[in-house]
Amino acid sequence: MHLIDAIRDAFALLFSGDAELWQVIWISLKTTLLALFLATPLAVIAGYAIAAHTFRGRRVAIWLVQASLSLPTVLIGLLLYLMLSRQGPLGNLHWLFSQSGIVAGQVLIALPVLVAFTLAATQAADPRIAETAVTLGASRWRAMCTVLHEVRFGVMAAIISGFGRVISEVGCAIMVGGNIAGETRTMTTAIALQTSKGEFAQGIALGIVLVALALLINAGLVLLQGDPRTARGAS
Amino acid sequence: MTPLLMLEGLTKNFGERNLFDIERLVIRKACAYVLTGLNGTGKSTLLRILAGLESAQVGRASFLGAEMPLAPYPKTLRESIVYVHQHPVMFSTTVADNIGYGLHARGLAREEIFRRVEDAMEWAGVAHLRTSKPLTLSGGEKQRIALARAKVLEPKLLLLDEPTANLDGLAREQVIALIPSLTAAGSSVIMACHDRDLISLPHVERLKLRDGRLQARQNRVRAAS
Repeated sequence: MHLIDAIRDAFALLFSGDAELWQVIWISLKTTLLALFLATPLAVIAGYAIAAHTFRGRRVAIWLVQASLSLPTVLIGLLLYLMLSRQGPLGNLHWLFSQSGIVAGQVLIALPVLVAFTLAATQAADPRIAETAVTLGASRWRAMCTVLHEVRFGVMAAIISGFGRVISEVGCAIMVGGNIAGETRTMTTAIALQTSKGEFAQGIALGIVLVALALLINAGLVLLQGDPRTARGAS
Repeated sequence: MTPLLMLEGLTKNFGERNLFDIERLVIRKACAYVLTGLNGTGKSTLLRILAGLESAQVGRASFLGAEMPLAPYPKTLRESIVYVHQHPVMFSTTVADNIGYGLHARGLAREEIFRRVEDAMEWAGVAHLRTSKPLTLSGGEKQRIALARAKVLEPKLLLLDEPTANLDGLAREQVIALIPSLTAAGSSVIMACHDRDLISLPHVERLKLRDGRLQARQNRVRAAS
């Protein structure tokens, strides 16, 4: 099929309200947002804790976080598959080939990105922010919230990067989800499947949705940042 | 009369290097002190130790007659001592929210916070800036906001690190003019500084760090010039 024809068919498919296509989009968004919702608080607190405190093993923790950024998602999928399979230690959960399994994989994929970006943003923050909060009587928790508020654009960048990594990954979703139509078929697994069948229109349509999402979310971040000259922590 | 704060045997080392060895430091209630000394003698470090932001070896410490350690930093001291940086950091909220930060942290009622913040803004002459973002303000305005943010907590001891450094002209005069009213309100103040106009303020006692020792000059009442 000619590329132009494929793109025209993709747009036609998108605007026709094709139920199967929109179900794939919905499953992708649902699992991704749920995974981010679960991973973000944990990762942000971990990133802040590593950045703001000195403790034995801190450098090892930073090294592990940074190293895990380059872990192939298919490897995470393989490990999770073994954990969730019937003989695995988490087999009783029956999460294999389910959306819960995909969410679990996405949480594991998002965590290193979220922790690493939050850590970098907090390390770059002016240390007087936390000191000022503490000397004004803030508890540790309030001081943490204050610092994170001051580096909020860095944290938002972390969440957006996490979103990008999770929604665009394919290896883990295929291994743990199984690419079951209407159940665990996500945008990326659908693209891989349709392309292997030579049906490019749906793949391109889903690609357009992915690109549109990326543009929309980043435009939102730019708008929130406002004037970078007056926004501390803008990254 | 029971002093506000008394420290004995206060030693600060950086590795092998001894920064200072202070035999005795006594801070009285509602008194102002200037802490002078050459650069690198440890003026800021001493203030940061008193604020619980740095560790040090302390033989004996008492606050209002009650003996207490400096590490871990006691809640009593945290609620009574406020430290203001040489270049105060402003949170990226409004001026009013900055000044009310510590009151929110202490869990005061909203009406009480509003009243105290309004009073503090009037005191510091920044009431017209209440909804401004402090990141856009001048150094003098930020310093006055930082003083208001500290004063609003009614601290027993206020630690000011070079409060007029990098300020000139009217901004400097405005900051200096606020200092006497802090002691008048019942707070003791220690200012690390080189500013002659601060050093020569009436009713100010001079503490000098020199060769790792603290020298205190007898409090004198000078005529205001």
